[in-house]
Amino acid sequence: MMTIHSKPVSDRQIEALRELINIGVGKGAAILNTMLSSHIVLQVPQLTLMDMEDLAAEIAALGSEKLSMVALKFDGEFSGSAELMFPSETAMTLVDTLVGEAPLDMDVDSIRSGTLCEIGNVVLNGVMGSISNIFSSHFNYSVPEYIEDLSENIFLDRGVAPQTTILLAKTRFLIETLDVDGDIILFFESGALDRLMEMTEAI
Amino acid sequence: MAKLLLIDDSWLTRRGLSGMVSDMGHTVIEAENGKVGLEMVKNENPDCILLDLLMPEMDGYEVLTRLAASKNQIPVLVCTADIQNTARQKCLALGAAGFLNKPPKEEELKGLITKVLGE
Repeated sequence: MMTIHSKPVSDRQIEALRELINIGVGKGAAILNTMLSSHIVLQVPQLTLMDMEDLAAEIAALGSEKLSMVALKFDGEFSGSAELMFPSETAMTLVDTLVGEAPLDMDVDSIRSGTLCEIGNVVLNGVMGSISNIFSSHFNYSVPEYIEDLSENIFLDRGVAPQTTILLAKTRFLIETLDVDGDIILFFESGALDRLMEMTEAI
Repeated sequence: MAKLLLIDDSWLTRRGLSGMVSDMGHTVIEAENGKVGLEMVKNENPDCILLDLLMPEMDGYEVLTRLAASKNQIPVLVCTADIQNTARQKCLALGAAGFLNKPPKEEELKGLITKVLGE
C-alpha cells in the first residue's frame, strides 16, 4: 500500500487515480492518432510515489540514449508537470511524418524542436484537459518547453529539490505503423497529492 | 475574398491553418505571438482573426482582453490545444466568436469562418 504524507492510500483510490489518468492519456492518444493517422497502442499507466532523485534514476534506466521531451507545467487546484518523451532518433520519424516538405527558410533543429513542441502541446493539453474537465476544474499552463538531452540529464535543473516527493504516472505508447514508441509522464508535486486524492475520491 | 490574421507561435500550425484558409480563397497574414498580432490588427485591418491561446510574449487571453477594451468588431476564432471547458467559456466570455481545438478539422474551421464572415 502507498502512503502520501504518512497517510495510507487505498488500492481503490489508486485504481480511481489510474483510471483518471488512463482517460486523460486516452484523449492525448486520440489526438496523436488524428495528427498522424496512425493507431496508438497504450499500456496501462504505472503509478509510483517517489522523490526526484528516484525519478532521475528511473529515466536514466531507460538507457543511455538521447531523449526528446516536451514539458507542459500546470497549476490550479494542484500543480505539476506533464511530459511527452521519445528517443530522439525515433522522434525524427514523427517530424518527417508531420512536416513532409520542410520549409526552406528554417534550419533542421528549429523544424525538429518546433514540430515536437507542438505535438507535445496538443497531446499534453489533451491529457490534462480531460482530467481538468472530469474535475470541473481549471489548470493554467506554461508555454511548453522542448528539451533534448541524455536520459540521465533530462530531469536535471527542473527547479524541484531532489528530495521532493512526487507521484509519477508513466504510460508507454507505441505508434505501430511508424515503429515509434515513447512515454507520457505526469508528475504531481507533493503539495498536490492530498488534494488530488480528495478530488479523485469525490468523482 | 477576406483577409485573415493567423496568430500562433507554432509555425507548424500556422502552415496547416494557412493552407486550409488559402484553399477557401482567402488571404492569410501571420503573427507569431499576441504582441505582434495586435500590431497587425492595427496596421492590416483583417476581416477575421484566428487566435492561439498559449503563446510567449502575449497569450491569447490577453489579446482577447485588449481587443474587447478597444471595442474591436473583428470576429476572433480561438484555435487552441486547450480542451478545458473552462478555457472555452473564458474565451467566449471575453468576446471570441468561436472556439475550436487543435488539430482543427477542416470542415469545422471552414464552417466557422464562413459563419463569422457572414458569407
